[in-house]
Amino acid sequence: MKNRALALTLALLVGVLAIGTGARGAGAPVKNPDTFVSLVYGDPESLDPAYAYDTASEGIIYPNVYETLIGYDGSVLSRYQPVLATQVPTLTNGLISKDGLTYTFPIRKGVHFQDGSVMTPEDVRYSMLRFMLQDRDGGPSWLLLTPLLGTDSTRSKEKIVVTYAQAARSVTVQGDTVVFHLNHPYGAFLSIVAAWTFVLPKAWAAAHGDWDGTEASWQKFNNPKLQDRYEFDHMNGTGPFKLQQWDRQAKEIILVRNDQYWRKPARLARVIIRNVAEFTNRRLQLQQGDADAIAVDRPDQSKVEGMAGVTIHDGLPTLVVQVLHFNFKIDPNGNPDIGSGKLDGNGIPPDFFSDVHVRRGFAYAFDYAAYIRDGYRGKADEPNGPIINGLLGYDPTAPKYTHDPAKAAAEFKEAWGGKLWDTGFKFTTTYNTGNVSRQVGAAILKDSIEALNPKFKVDVRNMQWSTFLQNTNTHKGTLYALGWVVDYPDPDDFAQPFLASNGDYPKRNSYSNPQADTLVKQGAETTDPAKRVAIYKQLTKLAYNDVPGLYVAQPVGFAVMRSWVHGWYYNAVYGGIDYYPIYKE
Amino acid sequence: MTTFILRRLLLLPLVAVGVSALIFLLLQFLTPAMRASLYIHDPKQLNALPDLIRKYHLDQPVYVQYWAWLIQVAHGDLGWSETAREPVAAAIRGYFPATLELAIYSFGWILVFGIWLGTQSAVHKDRFLDQVSRFTSISGASLPTFVWGLLLLMIFYGHFGWFPPGRLSLSGDLYVRGGAFHPYTGLMTIDALLNGNLGLFWDAAKHLVLPVATLTYYLTAVLVRITRSSMLETLRTDYVRTARAKGLGEHVVVDKHARRNALIPVITLGSLLFVGLLSGVVITETVFNYPGIGQWGVNASQQLDIPAVTGFALIFAGLLVISNLFADVMYAIVDPRIRLQ
Repeated sequence: MKNRALALTLALLVGVLAIGTGARGAGAPVKNPDTFVSLVYGDPESLDPAYAYDTASEGIIYPNVYETLIGYDGSVLSRYQPVLATQVPTLTNGLISKDGLTYTFPIRKGVHFQDGSVMTPEDVRYSMLRFMLQDRDGGPSWLLLTPLLGTDSTRSKEKIVVTYAQAARSVTVQGDTVVFHLNHPYGAFLSIVAAWTFVLPKAWAAAHGDWDGTEASWQKFNNPKLQDRYEFDHMNGTGPFKLQQWDRQAKEIILVRNDQYWRKPARLARVIIRNVAEFTNRRLQLQQGDADAIAVDRPDQSKVEGMAGVTIHDGLPTLVVQVLHFNFKIDPNGNPDIGSGKLDGNGIPPDFFSDVHVRRGFAYAFDYAAYIRDGYRGKADEPNGPIINGLLGYDPTAPKYTHDPAKAAAEFKEAWGGKLWDTGFKFTTTYNTGNVSRQVGAAILKDSIEALNPKFKVDVRNMQWSTFLQNTNTHKGTLYALGWVVDYPDPDDFAQPFLASNGDYPKRNSYSNPQADTLVKQGAETTDPAKRVAIYKQLTKLAYNDVPGLYVAQPVGFAVMRSWVHGWYYNAVYGGIDYYPIYKE
Repeated sequence: MTTFILRRLLLLPLVAVGVSALIFLLLQFLTPAMRASLYIHDPKQLNALPDLIRKYHLDQPVYVQYWAWLIQVAHGDLGWSETAREPVAAAIRGYFPATLELAIYSFGWILVFGIWLGTQSAVHKDRFLDQVSRFTSISGASLPTFVWGLLLLMIFYGHFGWFPPGRLSLSGDLYVRGGAFHPYTGLMTIDALLNGNLGLFWDAAKHLVLPVATLTYYLTAVLVRITRSSMLETLRTDYVRTARAKGLGEHVVVDKHARRNALIPVITLGSLLFVGLLSGVVITETVFNYPGIGQWGVNASQQLDIPAVTGFALIFAGLLVISNLFADVMYAIVDPRIRLQ
């Protein structure tokens, strides 16, 4: 009796599973044809274009709601097209001055903001000044401050050091044009304009408690807290979509079509960007057609491959680099990661990595191919320096380190006056908890090094993001993993943070090379592309010789979406998707 | 009893101060740089760390920070949650109803199944029903929630497309965000009925099926075990034997004499389970993308979002006090020998 009941239950279950599959395969009717549902993970920080400096926020802001003076030509980052300006400045059309210090943008007429007001050159100027002068800690203001005012912050030791007059002089309105006056020639300026010159209406901002554009009040609006700005959760751009709601409980952004858009209105009526932390949930919604595009990590790619009605766009070139950093001057105080703190086989001295033979030893020992295979399922390239593929000045012929244990051993035998090979060393390498590719990299580093010499010991420790930050910030990191994502597609955005002695990583790791400083400065200030190429090639060579870090991977991106999505294109700078050309069919 | 209840309620502010002070004290073990990590999302922002510490006064002594927070709370402001991107009070108001709705529906089933199955299991000890009940409770307690939840999601959404994740379908979601809907309680099923929209009610109910089923299975298992052992103990007592000797029917013995007394530990556990449900069921909320308070609480803790963690703890310390009070009152009702003092 019991067996019969069991058999009946099983048969019923199998039967039901066999009959009813709700999955939507190829050829299935399009679900919600005028609405695009994108499932991501990660909340936006702010919708204020002068505050946001994270991928999740940027994906909403640009180019969907706020627009810039010029933009990229689809996927092509080296070509620009006019957006809110009517022409792209060049030396040929005379809109860039011969000395490279003045850029003139004729402003498009008849463009309406989403509240119905008409965009004026004064709105453009106000938006640029606001972007610079708001300058919150850790925000994006430096991107315009550096070329226009020659400083990366409006403050020094909490005191405001920039005057309104300085800022006002740097952006002026002349008739129907807006003119940018650079502090020094800056070859990357147009690429910054293409990604960071968002325009919002001055009157609307001031009416909602923001800066009114006057000299008298600007300091009050400097360095705000997140919640202090109306624009934090309200938007009023000129783009093809406008914000309907940011539901922070449902972790959902709803954009609706801007029917007053200055170009032909978008084909999609609505875009929903929802944060869904759990991958299986995202995958099932894609499978059911309830989602049109989902975020997928490389290790999960196999779970969406072969899914009916789903397309994977693979092989997308990213402007991201993963690096293992050497700390040249480790803080030994209360630092368990350097063991004894001496070169006695049970630790490392604080200046352990200042010996170039040590760094080269590591560079030859690391198994790059294994890292790319295991950490990125083979979908990454090994860069040959900080100037990665896709940037001006990338040199595919430049040498790069390869896994070569014999050369590694030879370098280590020369290190520390020839003592290191006999004494050995022991230290702990660190990465932030949850980052799988960095975890794989640390394990490969350990295996590669320990296989060379039984006296070489590398321990691996993961840390919560907060602890990890504290560790690197206080110079306690030894050899640690951290990466870099593009701000604007120019080699200066990579050369400066990795090689200039005042760059983000050299400051942290006490790396300094006067020649690198000179070249980084020259590269930034030179406007002739051919000369810049030569400079960045030199910097690539310098990074190879100096080895301030190991440039271990430039990941290849991929995007997963329903096959009924058309018009999508990839742009390495966008934080998300350009929904304007998209339609479902 | 009224005095007892009032006295317990008057304890609430003291509990709140104690809990918040404890949290502030514990957080002092973290360095200012670690606490400032809340505002750093990218290596590009690393250089701003010292400025952020000064801006948010993270290098101030603990008593200064605590006093500033107390003054702020006295003005009805629980602070800003960086993880929720809104004021702590607004976050609690927003997340709590969703969790409450999930908790109410789950708790009803948990009580019904848990007490009935536990009782039947004890009454029919070592027989088929007992074996089924024990198997259910062991598997429910040992199968991780995320496995059970994902399994249900894959079968009933991925395969059949019946019960989707989230709180509402796209059309329901858009209707709720339109001007016609009024959120009276924040409980979607109730609000749907109050708005006279049966379609929306079914939509919301459909989205509750899988998370409620997951929680019910998992937590019923715990309640079954407690009810069963408590019932077994009670059924062995002299007064139950006497009741049977008097010739009372088995259902009278079980339902009227034994179960009532066996419910004392069940009430204790039940009140704790309910508070547990209200404080968020993180894994279930995550698996089903259900926008409850648990996900936010965990996220805030992981990112050292101090105002959020403190606000969260305050609310649930209060709920715990109230639930204990409720349990005390229930003891007295179930067993009149217990007097509240």
